[in-house]
Amino acid sequence: MNILLTGGSGCGKSSFAESLVMKFPLPRWYVATMQSYGAESEMKIARHRAMRATKGFETIESQTDVGKIRLPRGGTVLLECLCNLTANEMFDAEGNERDPYEKILREVRALSRQADNLILVTNDVGSDAEDYSESTLRYVDTLGRLNAVFAAEFDAVFELVCGIPICLKGELPQ
Amino acid sequence: MILVIGARASGKRAYVESLGYAPGQIADGVLDDKPVLYNLQTITMADPEGAPALLECLKTKEVVVCDEVGSGVIPLEKARRLGREATGRLCCQLAKEAAKVVRLVAGIPTVIKG
Repeated sequence: MNILLTGGSGCGKSSFAESLVMKFPLPRWYVATMQSYGAESEMKIARHRAMRATKGFETIESQTDVGKIRLPRGGTVLLECLCNLTANEMFDAEGNERDPYEKILREVRALSRQADNLILVTNDVGSDAEDYSESTLRYVDTLGRLNAVFAAEFDAVFELVCGIPICLKGELPQ
Repeated sequence: MILVIGARASGKRAYVESLGYAPGQIADGVLDDKPVLYNLQTITMADPEGAPALLECLKTKEVVVCDEVGSGVIPLEKARRLGREATGRLCCQLAKEAAKVVRLVAGIPTVIKG
């Protein structure tokens, strides 16, 4: 079963995602996409690690190229998150930009085929009216299109609001 | 406690008044002894680090109203980023404590808990 989780910053996506994964048997794979940029991201990474510490997750660091991941045996994958993955695939350290849309579609689908269940965390980055650069707007557009395609393909989609899951499609696994 | 959330100008204040609260019972962005706190996010965005400590006081309110501030592009400025996260996390805690959580969209209240 494939499930997409969306919602704004600090809305409880990670902890809900982990509670979903706990409904499924081992093995549980955590695909970590966040690059560390210093103290703030280190703190966030540490907070996420602590949440997973007792839950039997095996962590796979993959800031890009999730298509290269080979799961030795099926299981449940928590990929967190599509927003970081898209940014990492789109912009390199030198600030060069490329269109990552097809690559991400292909690679997330490839990962999903190896897993019994995929929980994909994303974010709703299109809900503001700030005056962004062309490049940032291309990022917002790319992530929005990816969200829509995965939502259409997946079994269930939830929006998290103050930690409360709002069902947009499908239903929770038993 | 009832938690009322929604975007800016989504009809939260009118909803609270429809519950029977007079304007004089609604505190706007300040913690005092009024039963309703409106614009919680003005407090948490100004002091993200102090946000978790507000929980105990907020639990004693009848109604807490907060803008949903976590959507849109993650801000480049650290203070705004931390403010959004702190506001969201505090709202997750408040939602756990709340008897009822109501989300306003275009003036329409949807009960998402309780």
